[in-house]
Amino acid sequence: MDSAQREALAERVLALSNADQTEVTIGTEDADLTRFTHEEIHQNVARSDAGVSVRAILGLRTGTAATNVLDEDSLRATVGRAIAIAQLAPEDPDLAPLPSGGPTVTPKGAYVKATADASPQLRAGMADAIFKVAESHKFWCAGFARTQSAGFTIANSNGARASFDGTDSGINVKMNATDSTGYGQAYSPDATTLDAHKVAGVAASKAKNSAQPQGVEPGEWTVIMEPAAFGEFFAYLGQHFSAQAYDEGSSFLSDGLDKPYFSENVTITDDYSNPLAPSMPFDFEGQPKQPVTLVESGVAKTFVTDSYWAKKLNRENTGHALPAPNAYGPQAIDLIVAPGRKSFDELIAETKRGLLISRFWYIRTVDQKKAIVTGMTRDGTFLIENGKVTGGVRNMRFNQSIIAALGKCEFSNAPQRTGDYWFSLVVPAAKIEGFKFSSGTQF
Amino acid sequence: MSFDDLAARALDTAAKRGAEYADVRFEVVRSERIETRNGVVATLSDATSRGYGMRALVGGAWGFAAASDLTPAGIDRAAARAVEIAKAGATIARHPFGAAPPHAYVDSFATPIVRDPVEVPLGERVALLLDAEKALHVSPKISVGRAWIDLWRTDKTFYSTLGSRIEQSIRQTGSGLEALAVGEGEVQTRTFPGDIGLYKSGGWEIIEEARLLQNAQRIGEEAQSLLTAEQCPSGTRDIILGGSQVSLQIHESCGHPAELDRVMGWEANFSGVSFLEVAQLGKLRYGSDIVSICIDNTLPQGMATVGYDDEGTKSMSSDIIRDGMLVGYEMSNDTARSIGRESNACVRAQSWEFVPMIRMCNLNLLPGDVPFEGLFDGVKDGIYMESNRSWSIDDHRLNFQFGCEIAWEIKNGKRGKLLKNPTYAGMTPQFWNSCDAIADKNSWVAWGTPNCGKGEPMQTGRTAQCAAPARFRNVQVGVGYGG
Repeated sequence: MDSAQREALAERVLALSNADQTEVTIGTEDADLTRFTHEEIHQNVARSDAGVSVRAILGLRTGTAATNVLDEDSLRATVGRAIAIAQLAPEDPDLAPLPSGGPTVTPKGAYVKATADASPQLRAGMADAIFKVAESHKFWCAGFARTQSAGFTIANSNGARASFDGTDSGINVKMNATDSTGYGQAYSPDATTLDAHKVAGVAASKAKNSAQPQGVEPGEWTVIMEPAAFGEFFAYLGQHFSAQAYDEGSSFLSDGLDKPYFSENVTITDDYSNPLAPSMPFDFEGQPKQPVTLVESGVAKTFVTDSYWAKKLNRENTGHALPAPNAYGPQAIDLIVAPGRKSFDELIAETKRGLLISRFWYIRTVDQKKAIVTGMTRDGTFLIENGKVTGGVRNMRFNQSIIAALGKCEFSNAPQRTGDYWFSLVVPAAKIEGFKFSSGTQF
Repeated sequence: MSFDDLAARALDTAAKRGAEYADVRFEVVRSERIETRNGVVATLSDATSRGYGMRALVGGAWGFAAASDLTPAGIDRAAARAVEIAKAGATIARHPFGAAPPHAYVDSFATPIVRDPVEVPLGERVALLLDAEKALHVSPKISVGRAWIDLWRTDKTFYSTLGSRIEQSIRQTGSGLEALAVGEGEVQTRTFPGDIGLYKSGGWEIIEEARLLQNAQRIGEEAQSLLTAEQCPSGTRDIILGGSQVSLQIHESCGHPAELDRVMGWEANFSGVSFLEVAQLGKLRYGSDIVSICIDNTLPQGMATVGYDDEGTKSMSSDIIRDGMLVGYEMSNDTARSIGRESNACVRAQSWEFVPMIRMCNLNLLPGDVPFEGLFDGVKDGIYMESNRSWSIDDHRLNFQFGCEIAWEIKNGKRGKLLKNPTYAGMTPQFWNSCDAIADKNSWVAWGTPNCGKGEPMQTGRTAQCAAPARFRNVQVGVGYGG
């Protein structure tokens, strides 16, 4: 279903509603993924779906209903269900009117036809290139190659109209040697730019260079996190920048804005138009997204809002609504950490003794307000001695406050899009002093 | 066209295009969620999703295509796509990978329910949550109160070229409460029941069993009390874990590592591998003699209870850990064949859109013979912890660290003062070998987990871990607050 078809369908559904206010969203997705292990494809999948969601508002009462059955009877029934639910819902005195939208510009490169048209043969070719790298090293590999396209259209009775089409693709590779592993990844809206051989080579190099890992003592270490690792660590701070978390007291920002929580070289923004991760220029209520500077030179400046929280806190709507209904409030989903001035190699060369971390695993929040998280290193952890990477180390568990870590850090000059998340993240490599490890493991 | 007619067309199209075996699963899923938050209804939604997922096997390679287009042309496209994907995989296959399942069934299954939740008026459901959530607000320090109900109704029919036709009607229900207390520089959370609510297969009786109204005030008071409680000490202690925390412990440290696809490296790049290697089968002492863990997909009210899995294998019970020894895995057809066994029906997909994969089912730590209160006997200096707050384990499932919402000191066999921010850590086999008592069947609960993530694309599975409180000796506690 293209954008014109989605827009026509949205108008048709909107016309079925007699609620005071109505919002209709249409989402489509075609997602294909080839997953492999031990140089065999074990999962090779494609899915295609299109769905309609209706939010009906009667006075201060709201109901939502959704379906992917798109015949006339089902659409009519879905609108009817949303209205019936709204009639039974209690009033919410803080409910805001649906936004009236506004002009938006889709960032360049968000949609690439070659990705949308990608075949299973293209993904098999990527997998085969990765297999050959593994075979040449006598390693075994596991990972995936994926391509997907998605479309989203919103129309509401207050005049908001917006459509977006985007594509995405990715490669994720873990190389497995006798007693070591290595990781590589690449993501892009344009599948033709992904270099499977190169990504596999990075993963193989890490596996090779971390062979015969030695155990090191837990405690405080200087660490250099590659973008994949830093992104995974930093991502757990994202929810703190929500107006809901701020107001309810679970965010570190609840202690006050305009305070220097981090070191001066930390600047964090939310911007859908970053060329490394171009995304939808409006939110899931149809409100144009504003680029927002959340932290400037270490000082927390603001948080993001949607229509509900903008009204409740008497602030501007920054256009960060998630799909309705949700219990999470507005979220910053296009996060960017500003790069520093030094190259990655300079950060390594300036480190007398430290650890280089390729990737983390199973990070979870230990303390919400203090933003303490725990997790494990994986797939390429190295010792740095006198400015050089000297060998692999066994993996370790950390317990570390993200806020404290960003108080003693510096960044590389080369940001990357990282992670296979539902939100986008562009971050550089990070060097952090006094990073706290609490225990080790057996590999 | 009926599902029977559409299935016949899909399987016929796949066979004509070269599939040696094919199956197709039609599903209609209805999901309803109500969530109240600070006196208002934050979520009141009702979603229907209908579609089908089709597997085709060509030259030992699998292809899977899922679509919501139920027109004959849509069926033809999806069948052709599944075969095309399988053929693309076969072109780079080093050796044949998959094979057709060994059995075919014509049968049906329906979740037994006492009262259909949809017969309970929506207004009554909303009122229950608003009343319970209101009772959480015992003081202004309760910044957020939440209460929720989830209802899932899945009707699905599985067909295969071997002649299977399996119709299933599955009903799953859950509800819970949460209070967030905010104090000077910290927040504390209490959740009930367990750490995520009470989720089981069944009807409105599952909501009634949760007793939200009867417990809401206590939960609010506990959240508030935690703000001024002492910090959990650091060191080595004997610990007693509440039943829902034992449930999470077996989920993370037995359920996931015993998935045979993970053991074989299928999840290596994402959720990891496993220390329960095939060479250890029958040889590894996983836990102490009193630790026996089995899967049972036939368990009444188990969140994962079904008649058949999504490869069309009939539900059964089988042992994973017997008297402390590793004796089995959670298996699919392909993985079981590779170790000379048959599937034990542990394959499920989140919904029609997703390929079936090995998922934890009802994973049961068999109860012991000690009353819950008896666990405290003989503990001179220990900690009793309840309700998970944080969970992390390495990608071999060895080094773990868990945090709970609430704890109490144990001195000379008696429960003492309240402790906040409790955490404990260890290595899986050492931890389970330190288990010296498990409470009896009177405190054994089928704790459902409605949100278990695994796979790429990520699938959310609904599992259960049936467990009673248990006691562990000499465990590291109080880690996690050094950062």
